Amino acid sequence: MTDDPFAGAPDAPPQGLAFLELGERLRQRGQHAAAATVALSGLAHYPTVADAHDLLARVRADQGDDSAASRAWYAALECDPDHVGARKGLAFVAFRSRDFAAAERHLDIAAMQAPHDITILNALDRLRGLQPARAPVGTVRLTDPAGGVLLFDMQGMRLAGSVREVADVSLADAAAAEGAGLVREAARVARMLDLGTVRHVVMETADAKIAMLPVSRDGALLIYRSSATPLGRLLGLAGDAARAARDWMGSSS
Amino acid sequence: MTIDQWHAALREVTGVTGVLGALIVSAEDGLVVAETAMEELATADVAALAAALVMRVARCTSAMDAGLPQTAYLVGDRGALLAVAGPAPLWLVAVARNDGELGRLRLLMRDFADVLR
Repeated sequence: MTDDPFAGAPDAPPQGLAFLELGERLRQRGQHAAAATVALSGLAHYPTVADAHDLLARVRADQGDDSAASRAWYAALECDPDHVGARKGLAFVAFRSRDFAAAERHLDIAAMQAPHDITILNALDRLRGLQPARAPVGTVRLTDPAGGVLLFDMQGMRLAGSVREVADVSLADAAAAEGAGLVREAARVARMLDLGTVRHVVMETADAKIAMLPVSRDGALLIYRSSATPLGRLLGLAGDAARAARDWMGSSS
Repeated sequence: MTIDQWHAALREVTGVTGVLGALIVSAEDGLVVAETAMEELATADVAALAAALVMRVARCTSAMDAGLPQTAYLVGDRGALLAVAGPAPLWLVAVARNDGELGRLRLLMRDFADVLR
């Protein structure tokens, strides 16, 4: 028997999910190679456990391999789309590469999953403090499936983007269909109450703030953010997204 | 809250700069429950249209798996309609000009909607 409780552990078959704790302790001790071996060994037996991918991602991030870390965190999200740790990790990687908009987006989604996690809300505040109040147009990516920006036509067909995840195509299609109905209803209300041309409709739920705004006669946007997002910032993003959408529709037609 | 208190709350909402009127509306049937408004505002129309908009918003948030709406704001280039959920099926609704204090109006309506609940 050895004094080192972890001696030989990386080569031993994982016993249940205990490898998660073992790998994390190895990672915290700076034994990244051993921690990676434990994580990979565990994943070989439990490939659908999001926490195992999360462990591997954290090890890769510690090793400075952000690309591998991102892949592992996205794998974690495929196993569990609501995995907060993976979102925080992706935000960290994006922040490290100075992609603040992506970092904010991932933290925003994490805040939807864990609205009372003060560490996420504080990180969001710090991140927003580093950026201009209104993000430049280039940060809006209509084709980013996790961008929370959905562009649809007036027949209710999805043109680009998604509500949340790439796997949620049916959710995005349903949102597009209902979004078109909302555009028509908003236009009717605005016309009958003499409110003028519709600029936007903002909807707030317990978990989310959503903006709908027409971008042309042929299309409209839905912007989905967590309830922690300031309303003015949501509308700023919506305006940028509308410009990006007009460019996109112009270039795709 | 009593009916008198509802009217007092509506009068306070209507006192915000740019507000043309405030109503408590039943979203189920689009009828006015209580109102304080300028004569030029057709409150029955506002109630029916606000209820229709709220229903549409609810369908949209439901399709996005985002839960039930608590507020809905329609902002046009000449004015805005703000709706805040009270105890189901009631909604507090206000119509304002686009130069109104929409930020203050939003907060005031949310406070009253909380009290209504």
